[in-house]
Amino acid sequence: MAINIPQQANAQRFNHANFSRPAPTMNRTPVTVNRTVTVNRTPPVTRTEPVSPVNRTINGGSRNVGNHNIEMNRNVTGNEHVNVNPRADVHNHVTVYHTGSFRSQPYNYHPYHPYYWGPRWHPVGFFLSALAANAIRFSIGNQWYYYDDGCYYIPSGGGYSAVLPPVGAVVSYLPDGYETCQVGDVYYYYFAGTFYVNIQAGYQVVQAPIGAIISQLPDGAVDQNINGQDLLVYNNTYYEPISQDGQDAYQVVPGN
Amino acid sequence: MKKKMFLIVSICALFIQTKAQAPRIDTVAVSILDKMSAMIGSLNSCSVTVKSNYDITSRRLGLVKHSDEQQLFMHGSDKLLVRSDGDRGTKYISYNGKTLTYYSLDRNQYAQITAPPTVMEMIDTVNRIYGIEFPAADLFYPSFVDDILSEATNLQYLGLTKVDGKECYHVAGTAKDKTFQFWIADDAYDLPLKVVIVYTSKEMNPQFEATLTDWKVNPDLPDALFDFSAPPKAKRIKLVSLTASK
Repeated sequence: MAINIPQQANAQRFNHANFSRPAPTMNRTPVTVNRTVTVNRTPPVTRTEPVSPVNRTINGGSRNVGNHNIEMNRNVTGNEHVNVNPRADVHNHVTVYHTGSFRSQPYNYHPYHPYYWGPRWHPVGFFLSALAANAIRFSIGNQWYYYDDGCYYIPSGGGYSAVLPPVGAVVSYLPDGYETCQVGDVYYYYFAGTFYVNIQAGYQVVQAPIGAIISQLPDGAVDQNINGQDLLVYNNTYYEPISQDGQDAYQVVPGN
Repeated sequence: MKKKMFLIVSICALFIQTKAQAPRIDTVAVSILDKMSAMIGSLNSCSVTVKSNYDITSRRLGLVKHSDEQQLFMHGSDKLLVRSDGDRGTKYISYNGKTLTYYSLDRNQYAQITAPPTVMEMIDTVNRIYGIEFPAADLFYPSFVDDILSEATNLQYLGLTKVDGKECYHVAGTAKDKTFQFWIADDAYDLPLKVVIVYTSKEMNPQFEATLTDWKVNPDLPDALFDFSAPPKAKRIKLVSLTASK
């Protein structure tokens, strides 16, 4: 006698070709009872991946987490916010500087006064025991981040620590008080040491563009004297104190 | 002139059609599935209850719904126990790294085969060869997210919703032969709580729905749990492969 596998036993319901085996087919012929089979039937044991003797997890560990080859011809959308209460996109920008192509502005030293962007903004390293309910959560690589009003946090020590934003992160809104600046033909948005460009999915964090002029720097910038000039360094970006339209400002300059 | 206009209109239509059909893969949805998959991949042991409802297509009656409830226990990479109870009877599937035992409580019959050395290889192999189904097995594949991405034509994060009172990330997608939805708990563990699949390529679009409850992460499970001892008067029979039946 033989076991009658239930008629509607389906294969695993998704194609697991990436498991290095042929995908099981969905349409199976029911097994009848009155068949005789040989006694010693051994299913093929083809091991495509050796099991690490130290990896005792139930499935050997998930693969390619945060590193998937999403096809280039797909319309990959950036991360969309997960908060329950969508925020209105408030354009309350402060200043607009047009630099055209990069043209170094004359150095004009002025003292560095860290700028404070309001009660919901915190400098890097600041610890919060809880975040606002509508903070946005997203992941880059294996790291989860939280975004709230222009600040980025990671879980730390039972709470959350403010961190520098990861380049490439996409957020759906800019906080109140952002600036716009133009370098060449590209418009950038700036808030608290972070530069963004507007993409279809929202606003993407980018490296500070050389030539960009902004009005304020956050707490954490460090003085560095290069070739007799005092520059400020924040998040590996060099800022040269300048004057623009009679106002103190900073221009992003090359580091060497 | 008319031919030129027709050509221009055709090209425009083709462009619009192509743009309309461009699949959308939401990276937030991918991140959520990644987080779930990473959590599952980090477990040294687990247990979960899977309640599934599935449609069987009947020409006379249309879609007939059946249900099963399964308790799943996994320990390390080479121990598995499933107790299944429902419309397909009561059965046990136990695997101890060497032998897979399929035991039917209703008939007091059991079959044993030598199996591959890891749970995932065993699940994949015996499913292909013998048609044995393991509850919510797809979710445990280490290549789960890659597998979804390789067939998804769309994948979207739909927002937060609740399953049995627990807040979940709701992810939905389509493939050429099915639509699928996952609900993943919005908590420290990011484990799946519900799966729904609709087979759009099959007549009457049968559905499969499973809820996963009572997750236990890294419980201490004794090895003896996964060894099979034949009950009194149980008859040993043979497991028939699907290819052998043809």
